[in-house]
Amino acid sequence: MNIDVSSIMDVFDSIAPVLPILILIIGALFMPAIQMIFKRGKVTAATALVVVIISAALNAHMLYHGQTGEFSSLFVYDAFSGLLILLFQAVVFIAILVASVSRETTARHVGAFYALLLVATSGMCFVATATDLLTIFVGVEMVSIPSYAMVALKRHDSRASEAAVKYVIIGGLSSGLTVYGISMLFGLSGTTNILGIASYVEGAGYSAALIIALATMIAGYGFKIALVPFHSWAPDVYEGAATPVSIFLSTGSKKMGIVVFIKIFFVLFVFIQSTKAGMTEGMQYVFAILAAVTMTVGNVVAIAQTNVKRMLAYSSIAQAGYMMIAFAVLSQWALTGTIYYMFAHVFMKGGAFVIVAILIHAGIGETLKDYRGLAKRAPLLSALMLIFLFSLAGIPPLGGFTAKFFLFSSAIVTDLGGAVTAQWMWLAFVAIINSAISLYYYARVIKAMYVEKGETEEKFKVPVPMMVAAILCVLGVILMGVYPGPFLHYCSEAAAAIMSLLP
Amino acid sequence: MIPIEFFLMFAAILFVIGIYGIMTKNNAIVVLMCIEMVLNAANINLVTFAAYNGAIMGQVFVLFTVAVAACEVAVGIAIMLNVYKVKKTTVIDDLTELRW
Repeated sequence: MNIDVSSIMDVFDSIAPVLPILILIIGALFMPAIQMIFKRGKVTAATALVVVIISAALNAHMLYHGQTGEFSSLFVYDAFSGLLILLFQAVVFIAILVASVSRETTARHVGAFYALLLVATSGMCFVATATDLLTIFVGVEMVSIPSYAMVALKRHDSRASEAAVKYVIIGGLSSGLTVYGISMLFGLSGTTNILGIASYVEGAGYSAALIIALATMIAGYGFKIALVPFHSWAPDVYEGAATPVSIFLSTGSKKMGIVVFIKIFFVLFVFIQSTKAGMTEGMQYVFAILAAVTMTVGNVVAIAQTNVKRMLAYSSIAQAGYMMIAFAVLSQWALTGTIYYMFAHVFMKGGAFVIVAILIHAGIGETLKDYRGLAKRAPLLSALMLIFLFSLAGIPPLGGFTAKFFLFSSAIVTDLGGAVTAQWMWLAFVAIINSAISLYYYARVIKAMYVEKGETEEKFKVPVPMMVAAILCVLGVILMGVYPGPFLHYCSEAAAAIMSLLP
Repeated sequence: MIPIEFFLMFAAILFVIGIYGIMTKNNAIVVLMCIEMVLNAANINLVTFAAYNGAIMGQVFVLFTVAVAACEVAVGIAIMLNVYKVKKTTVIDDLTELRW
């Protein structure tokens, strides 16, 4: 038997693009052992941070040098995957900083918690590099299953256990629907590669089986990003889970869903549109209506909330609606805007949840009533919360405004300074009206903090790691607002990388 | 040879029964079983297409789906046990602390 040495060397060469993910997985395996040996949650958290930093540094190096690579036509590392991996690493960095001191996560199962967190992150990175339905499916499940366990880790809390039951049932339903859709697509086209499926659909046109396949897959992955008919689990889970887990789910898990939509539906329909322009119009309207309904329902229901965590969850649903605009417009500029929005959303929504986590940790509570007079008790925290909420509402000098400007403009112009198209202008109007509605419920929190009088004016201590996380988020929000150039450059390169997959 | 429609109809019926069960059943354990039925419907589809089209990728996919389904049920049952310990019930209609 002769072994072809060069083929083994090829495997090791082509494994380089997935190296940042492998580091995360290996780190995850060590977490329980480190917790067992040192028996101190802070040491485990610090090790997890080091693992994330090593992986992020390697990834940033590869991204900066424009490295690309492919692994068995299952994974592709390019500007898009590199940038999105960096986003997920930023998310988990913030989540670990908050979790390392939060009373909600340090009580028990610390080693298991960080292992689950890192495995879920590596699953997200898997999705960012995947180009095949098989790897996308496995990556999504690698995020979902640890997420169920992380929600349930707050074990004796009745709200958390109830949220976990709802999450596991909805998650199971969603993966069942998607696999059924994938099986239909596979049966029709004979392949699970997305470009292969796209060229099949382009040639054969729509059939009843294809419609069933697309509908079940949009529903299944729609559960993951909480599009409106499929959103009911999200507020329950974000409210019931420990706040560091809510940070991770609302910023990371939701972005992963958007990435799946980009990888499957955006690529599929842009591919078809490039040759048969009329064929995608129906699907574009489906996505446009989903986007409009999602943002409207999310914002309107958020007005009625008195629990701040739950209000932020509904606003998260609305933000997912904004990001869906790209799938209606299907242009490179829209994709750039969506990627930019994802980054802004991580910083502003993550930052708002960090402040909520600090207040819960300090024993203040999570309802609007508890926020009364906060400006007197913690001036810095209130100022940070003000910045995050204004950014979420889209007030000018902040990141949220710039991101909304790029994203909404894509519904009106084909490129910055490009021709005006009338087709999706109504979607931009709906989105802008929704931003105005959202200002109302954000302003209620600000009013509670600054105008209303609280019961005490007693100061409280804020743990350093949580403060560091909040400061990082606020830096991100302000930088993305006043100096968008470099961010926009990387986002447009990422969008170009997705577009270059197409012939 | 058995026509391919027989397998596809069988899978479709299994899928519909599973979805119906998820929508209507009140016991969380039964709902988990219904989710398994939906996943198995998809598996039957995949294996059928792999056998009739001669594309091996379908069978590879089934191996991954089976593994994922096993993980999901393990975590799901653990979560049900936990909620039973905390609330003394696994009836979904009684889990109403979080709403609106």
